[in-house]
Amino acid sequence: MSQHEDPKPTPNTSGDGWRVLSYLIGGILVYGGIGFGLDRWLGTQFLLPVGIVLGAGLTIVLLNFRYR
Amino acid sequence: MSAGVSTEFISPGPQSFNTTPIIDGVDWFTKPVLVAALSVVVIVWFYWGASRKAAVVPSKLQFAGELGYNFVRNSIARDAIGSHDYMKYVPYLCGLFYFILLNNVAGTIPLIQFPTFSHIGWAYVAAIMSWVIYNAVGIKKKGLWGYFKHQTMPAGVPVWLMPLMIPIEFISNILVRPVSLSLRLFANMFAGHILLLVFVTGGDYMLRESGSIALGGVGIITLLMGLAIAGLELFVQCIQAYIFVVLTAQYIGSAIADEH
Repeated sequence: MSQHEDPKPTPNTSGDGWRVLSYLIGGILVYGGIGFGLDRWLGTQFLLPVGIVLGAGLTIVLLNFRYR
Repeated sequence: MSAGVSTEFISPGPQSFNTTPIIDGVDWFTKPVLVAALSVVVIVWFYWGASRKAAVVPSKLQFAGELGYNFVRNSIARDAIGSHDYMKYVPYLCGLFYFILLNNVAGTIPLIQFPTFSHIGWAYVAAIMSWVIYNAVGIKKKGLWGYFKHQTMPAGVPVWLMPLMIPIEFISNILVRPVSLSLRLFANMFAGHILLLVFVTGGDYMLRESGSIALGGVGIITLLMGLAIAGLELFVQCIQAYIFVVLTAQYIGSAIADEH
């Protein structure tokens, strides 16, 4: 959301929580998906959970930049 | 809702949503279609009646119409899109909001009692429409490449983190948004309706078919709790219509927002 353009008194933030959720799902999908693919490719088993955790962590970093 | 002569309780499930054609031979004309058509008639009638004799000193109907319109215009569209160019999207957002609201609340209205969006196709179409619109206005404003960059390069992230963030941003903005938009609406309507069915048919069965006084008492309590659930559902139905439209407005707002 842009905080600069309009002099609105109270921005409507009621959808922010849901947007954060879709970011989290996105991050987990991307990096969990990469982990899943690598697992398939390399025959390992630990990369899917690593990817999921990494994706969630990166998303939280991203959200930190975005909503600060 | 009665369990009939059968002595075994058949619990409601996804099969409870299998609607049959209302008129024999017209396969597409099912209950959700009827409810949606009715909702359109009611909305058109309401807003037409409210704006037909627009006066400086409004009639009761005009006042109600302005209240409903102003709600979407000011607290959804303007707050989420920004006071510069929100007016263009008010018609869509207003129509969408009242369409979803009425179709959700149809799950509570006696005799109708079917939330249209508990059939997932309706939710898909509503979400696809919003998806097409926010992408189209973004592309129109920034050009295809500019919009793509805008939607995939998160603001304020240091350059060395960018490669890690771009896929997250892309997937969540382009892929997860429409899916979550439709699933949230569908799942809330579906689950709410099934919950009500369980309470009402279960309570009814225990009260009338079980043949046990103790179970009958539990049945009465169950039915009373079903009433409370119905109240909760009414709340959820309104909230879901609101959140769907707020998110659509925010997506449009973020698609056309100027970064930096």
